[in-house]
This record gives sequence, C-alpha cells and structure tokens, in this order.
Amino acid sequence: MKPSGSTYWVVIVSLFFAYLLAIVPLPDWALNWRPQWVLLFVFYWTMALPYRVGLGLSWTAGLLLDVLEGSVLGLNALVLLTVAYVSLSLHQRLRMYTPVQQSGVVLLACLLALGMGQWLRVINGESVPVDAGYLFAAITSAAIWPALFSLLRGLRRRFITN
Amino acid sequence: MFTKGVALEYRALSLVLLSICLMVADNRFDYLRHARFALAYTALPVYWIADLPARGSELFDDVFVSHSALVEENAELRTQLLLAQRELQVLESLASENSRLRALDEAAQTVEGDVLSAEIVNQAPNRASKRVLINRGAAQGVFVGQALLAAEGLMGQVVEVMPTTSWVLLVADPLHVTPVEVNRNGERALARGTRGAADELELEFVTQTQDIREGDLLVSSGMGEVFPKNYPVADVISVRNDPGQDFAVVRARPRVAVNSTRHVMLLIPPAPSLALDEVDVAEPEVAL
Repeated sequence: MKPSGSTYWVVIVSLFFAYLLAIVPLPDWALNWRPQWVLLFVFYWTMALPYRVGLGLSWTAGLLLDVLEGSVLGLNALVLLTVAYVSLSLHQRLRMYTPVQQSGVVLLACLLALGMGQWLRVINGESVPVDAGYLFAAITSAAIWPALFSLLRGLRRRFITN
Repeated sequence: MFTKGVALEYRALSLVLLSICLMVADNRFDYLRHARFALAYTALPVYWIADLPARGSELFDDVFVSHSALVEENAELRTQLLLAQRELQVLESLASENSRLRALDEAAQTVEGDVLSAEIVNQAPNRASKRVLINRGAAQGVFVGQALLAAEGLMGQVVEVMPTTSWVLLVADPLHVTPVEVNRNGERALARGTRGAADELELEFVTQTQDIREGDLLVSSGMGEVFPKNYPVADVISVRNDPGQDFAVVRARPRVAVNSTRHVMLLIPPAPSLALDEVDVAEPEVAL
C-alpha cells in the first residue's frame, strides 16, 4: 500500500480539470444546474483510494476552491471535509453498490454540501438567503455520477497500478 | 482497521476546528489577507485556461473577417464617431455653462478621473452572489472600493484584489447598495440588488409621494464617493404603490447586461485626493 508518486499526479491533474469545470463561465439559467465537480472528484478518490486520498487532501482541495471562488477561506474546505468524511466512513459499503445506487448517496452528499455551503455563506455575510433553486445542482451531480464514475475508474486502472 | 477509524474521527474534528478558525480569522479579523493574496497565484492558471474559449472566439472574430465586412464596419464606426463628436461639442458648451453655474452656486465639482481598461474573465460560479472577475489586479494598482464602469452604465465596485485579477461586486448583488438619483428630477434613493435570480435593483425607503415613474433613468448620485456622479445605473421598470404599505416598491433593471459585456473600465480617482492621503495605490487597504 505504499503510495507511488504517480498516484498523486493522477489525482491532482484530475482535480485541476474539476476546478476548470467548476469555474468555466455558464449562462445564467445554467448556473444553478452546474454539477458539483470538485465534490464529485473528491468523493470518487476518497472512495477508491481511502488510504491515499484522505481528509487532508480533501480539505486542501476545498481551500483551493475557496481561493478560486473568492469566498472566505475554510468554507469549501469544511464542506469538502464533511463529504470526504462521509465517503471515507462508508467506502467499503459504497464499493459494493452499483454506480446507480451510488448516485443516491451522491445526491444526499451534494444536498448536504450545497445546504452547508449556502448556510456558511449567509453566516459569513457573503450571501443572503435565496430560494432553493441552488439545490438543483445536486440532481445534475447525481445524474452525471455513473458516467463520471466509469471515467475515473478507467483513469485509475490505467494509471494507478499498485 | 479499528485504530484507523478512531484516528479518522479525530483528524476530521481537528480539521473542522481549523476550518472554523480560518473562517473567523479571514472574515472577522482580516488576518489572512496576505495568505489569500499569495494563494491567488495558484488560481491563476485555472482562470487563464477557463478564459481560453472566450478569448479564442474573440480572436477568431478578429482574424477571420471578410474585407467587405471590415469596410462596412469601418464606415459605420466613422458615422458613429461623427455623431459622437457632434454630441461632444454640445456637451462641452453645456459643461462650461454648468461649471459657471456651479461657481455661482459654490457647489462641489463632479467626480472626474482617468480610466483603466479591463476585461471580464470570469463570473461567480454560483447564483449566491453576483460578482465578476476582471483581469486587472494589484500589479495594475487596483484597490478595494474602486468603481467599475461599462460603456452603458455603472457595473459595481472592487471587493477583493489579487495579484493580477480582482473580484468585482455587481450593483445587482443583494449585498450591494448604490446611492442613486432620478435623472429627471434629482429625487435621491438607495438601490439594492434583489435576492432573485434576475439582475434587478429595488429602491429602498421610497415614500409613496416621491416622484419616481416607470421608465425613469437612475444615475449615480456620487454620495459615498465610490462612484462618479451622474453615471447611468438602471432604468425603473415598475412602481407599485400599495396604500397599506409604508413605502412604494420600485424596481429597476441595471443598464449593463453582464453576460454580454467583456470590455469594461476601472475608474482611477483624480490625483489630488491620492496625494492628500499619501497612499500607495497598490495597497488595497488604504483606499477605503
């Protein structure tokens, strides 16, 4: 189980694409439907490689998302930490599920993360309470999960051999 | 396995506490400004690549354009320039007349200044806040509180300065309040962004007897000294007077369509006020 250097490179490069997808400008109507890309990637890697991609890396990924979004430092870090904790605690069970069943867990994780993010933003004075439209992102995230799962699994099998 | 599980919980708890400390330190005490500034360098490549499609299409439009289209555009621009110059002549006479009247009235001069051109390279990734990212930052002397203008009207003000980029809070954000006045009669009001998804403003504390009508142009009143005076902000789209309420509900739509605007300008305040405070414009905190 000794991690090799290439493992981290694959994870980091894939996260870079997640960041890109997370901030690429979209038309107004699509903003509420944008999947939680960074969350999905963190969810996959913590589930697939729980002893290598743990809480620390998820937290750091969230911190970089904070910088990218210009929100208060620690906000997305806390959100992604929570998601990673769920995924790490359940990883053995999650692996037994089919990707479609995993989508259900992803949906719940996304709802939790979106609600928590909005709640923290309001507390920090970055935003005001808005209608629940921002929760739509959980639906698209769950819908895209099976495809993303097979893509990332392919990536893992191709590049992470140990 | 079991020891791993226990360690996981402790590690999670310590990171939760660390996150909370970070948020408090960043938000309430502003301790982490330099850390944010340094971390922003890591975000640069992501922004740069995310902006490639937009820049690519602009380049494509510039390069692959036919000769006749260019000639046509050139002619159109020349006509526009002529019209603009004619209007400028009228404006100049008005300006001189205005300044003479102001001298008589001993009123303060309007805010004037130079501008720094900028481009919008990104927008806030969710609807929770209405912000845009521009490609000018501390390296170009941007400071917190600097006003951002577009050709059609006022856009917002800088809220965070990073090495070569800055976040701008738009006037339609629910946390942004713009001091405005009605262009027609000088009625003053405060325009706050609405909470909904639409880019709209709502005037606060307008009494039912105030003379504000649908179609009125709202210009910045220059109060608060963040925005220049008399710059267009929004058009009033609806006025509702309900006798049961204390105030009228006045809604307005900002002049600038954020999604279709790329080229914008930052207002550089006139030199005297800067010399007065002996400030370095590159330092964000002093501009407030």
